[in-house]
Amino acid sequence: MKWYIARRLAWTVVATFIILSLTFGLMAASPDPQAASYVAQQVQEGGDFEEAQESYERARGLDQPLWERYKNYMIGMVTLDWGWSETRSQPVTEAILEAWPYSVMYATPALIISTVLGVAIGLYSATHRNSLEDYAASAFAFFGISIPDFWFGILMILIFGVWLGWIPIYYHSDVPWFSLQNVQQLIAPTLVVTLSSIASEMRFSRATALEYVNAEFVKTAKAKGADSWRRVTRHIFRPALVPLSTILVGDILNIVLVSSYLVEVVFGIPGLGQLSYKAIIQQDVALVLATVLIPTFIAIVGNLFQDLAYTVLDPRISYGER
Amino acid sequence: MTEPLLSIRNLKTHFHTDEGTVRAVDGVSLDVDRGETVCVVGESGSGKTVTAESITRLIPEPPGEIVDGTVRFDGEDVTAMSEKQLEALRGGRIGHIFQNPQGALNPVYTVGWQIREAIQLHDKKAKDKEARERAIDLLDRVGIPDATSRIDDYPHEFSGGMKQRIVIAMALASNPDLLIADEPTTALDVTIQMQILRLLNQVQEEFNTGIVMITHDLGVVAEVADRVVVMYAGKVMEEGDVYEIFENPSHPYTRALLECLPGRGEKMSAIGGSLPSTTSPPDGCRFHPRCPYAVGDCEIGEQPPMYAVDDGDHAVSCVHFEPGADPSVVLGEDGSDAVGGARADGGDETGGDAR
Ligand SMILES: Nc1ncnc2c1ncn2[C@@H]1O[C@H](COP(=O)(O)OP(=O)(O)O)[C@@H](O)[C@H]1O
Ligand SMILES: [Mg+2]
Repeated sequence: MKWYIARRLAWTVVATFIILSLTFGLMAASPDPQAASYVAQQVQEGGDFEEAQESYERARGLDQPLWERYKNYMIGMVTLDWGWSETRSQPVTEAILEAWPYSVMYATPALIISTVLGVAIGLYSATHRNSLEDYAASAFAFFGISIPDFWFGILMILIFGVWLGWIPIYYHSDVPWFSLQNVQQLIAPTLVVTLSSIASEMRFSRATALEYVNAEFVKTAKAKGADSWRRVTRHIFRPALVPLSTILVGDILNIVLVSSYLVEVVFGIPGLGQLSYKAIIQQDVALVLATVLIPTFIAIVGNLFQDLAYTVLDPRISYGER
Repeated sequence: MTEPLLSIRNLKTHFHTDEGTVRAVDGVSLDVDRGETVCVVGESGSGKTVTAESITRLIPEPPGEIVDGTVRFDGEDVTAMSEKQLEALRGGRIGHIFQNPQGALNPVYTVGWQIREAIQLHDKKAKDKEARERAIDLLDRVGIPDATSRIDDYPHEFSGGMKQRIVIAMALASNPDLLIADEPTTALDVTIQMQILRLLNQVQEEFNTGIVMITHDLGVVAEVADRVVVMYAGKVMEEGDVYEIFENPSHPYTRALLECLPGRGEKMSAIGGSLPSTTSPPDGCRFHPRCPYAVGDCEIGEQPPMYAVDDGDHAVSCVHFEPGADPSVVLGEDGSDAVGGARADGGDETGGDAR
């Protein structure tokens, strides 16, 4: 098992290295929109085309050999020097450091609520299959899956913000983080993200638990005299945790890659989603790169934790040869 | 005469499904005394498992429902018990052993945890440490070598036969009065089968346990049974003392079963035809569509009542044994022992599909 974990950690490092290298390759091969606009500007102002290009490259260190640039890039990545954001006139890491708390503020409660409620409802549905509650939960889940986040968000703003005036129409970032007002303005985005992930949690945990509801060892537990609560928690939920543990990483990724863009743009939250969105629109290459690397690292680290969780959750796992 | 340990009367367990009501068990009666082994035999699908699981209400409800009949255990009516009372009964006074030891243990807990659970569910006072000691004793008793070190192993680290011993250890955790074993050896190798049967026999002799043994292997029946109940399509066809059943089988279905014993040629499926529909079973005797001796009377009304055969502990549900009818239609001219040579003492191969 020690070897398994060591191998798994080594693989994480290798995967990170490969992804960073690939990203560098893509960057080096693609045209630089900022260079184009800089050069265009210089030429318009009467400058020489070649000269303008060279001075731009010198300023960026682009005149160095490829290997040298690669080395600098990798060192920068490791030392958290992720480059300069042109559009924001600040280091990329600084922009990210400023933005992430706003994303975490709604994503964390949404993740907790949707996971706890989603799994609980899914388990209940599986153990009460074809009951009225099960049908109601299924209907709700389809509703949650079908409704687009941005549409639901706009609807919430319209109903609770415009008509009822219960919540602000857009997010005020000057409100202190730990204040009632902030909680109030986070309710709507939290609900939107919760709805978008709770549905899939429910469906997945229902399907997973169903595989165990009729398992023979659950019947054994009943024959031993275990009551239904014990059967559901110890004999259905616990083994189901093995496949269920996989959903969490996917869920976080879904929020980071999809929900955060829509929700933050609709509600005007200055989090990572909006940062990335603006960077893409304004072609701020260094910033786009950084905001794209974040979910990649979440995926790599999430997978690592998932595999480590497996070693704890599933005694049958085989660690292979060393 | 004292009341038997377990007494099932006219039990009807049905399943309400989309395809209609499955009459899995449709009026079964049987008794088990302390220290006695009653074997329930019959083809796959004849309702043996449902009968066994109706005793402590293990069947899933819904779709299952005990629509009629009583199950009395040690004088108490199980069908009228609350869930709490049933939980005390299950694993407490009645232990269960299942067909497939591979699936009967929870893969994510150690066997020690699972045996301890069985102990502590019925002895709330037992501390973890004491329960662990008792679990080791139980493992020892069912013949797991080196129990002290193996108690913290997971189920997948044991062979099928060992797993079945562990299941038996759990069933024995509270020294039950009755063991219900549903094809406990079907999934196992022949040599292991014999060991498990011997183990059950030891337990029975030590604690005077009553055993309901479900099987479709007549070799097992010959080995362990005191009495035999032959089931077909949710009904009892014939019942009686094991020697009576083997020496003087009377119901055409029983006779067909015995003729299909391994070593006498065909397998059990060689009885022509197949089980009738469970949702709309035939009128009269359930077996008449496949019975070579069927007459007009067999096709109408209800399943015939149990008619006594000879004077001993032996009864059969067949119109040819009605008082005044002529049993030689079934038994042949010499009246007895037509298939009596079918001694099932070998048991070296399972009869039907060993699922
Ligand atoms: N949960 C269930 N739902 C519907 N039908 C069932 C269920 N369990 C058993 N049955 C039906 O009951 C009948 C008897 O099954 P069973 O008792 O398992 O037979 P045996 O153990 O003799 O092979 C079969 O027709 C089976 O399809
Ligand atoms: Mg069965």
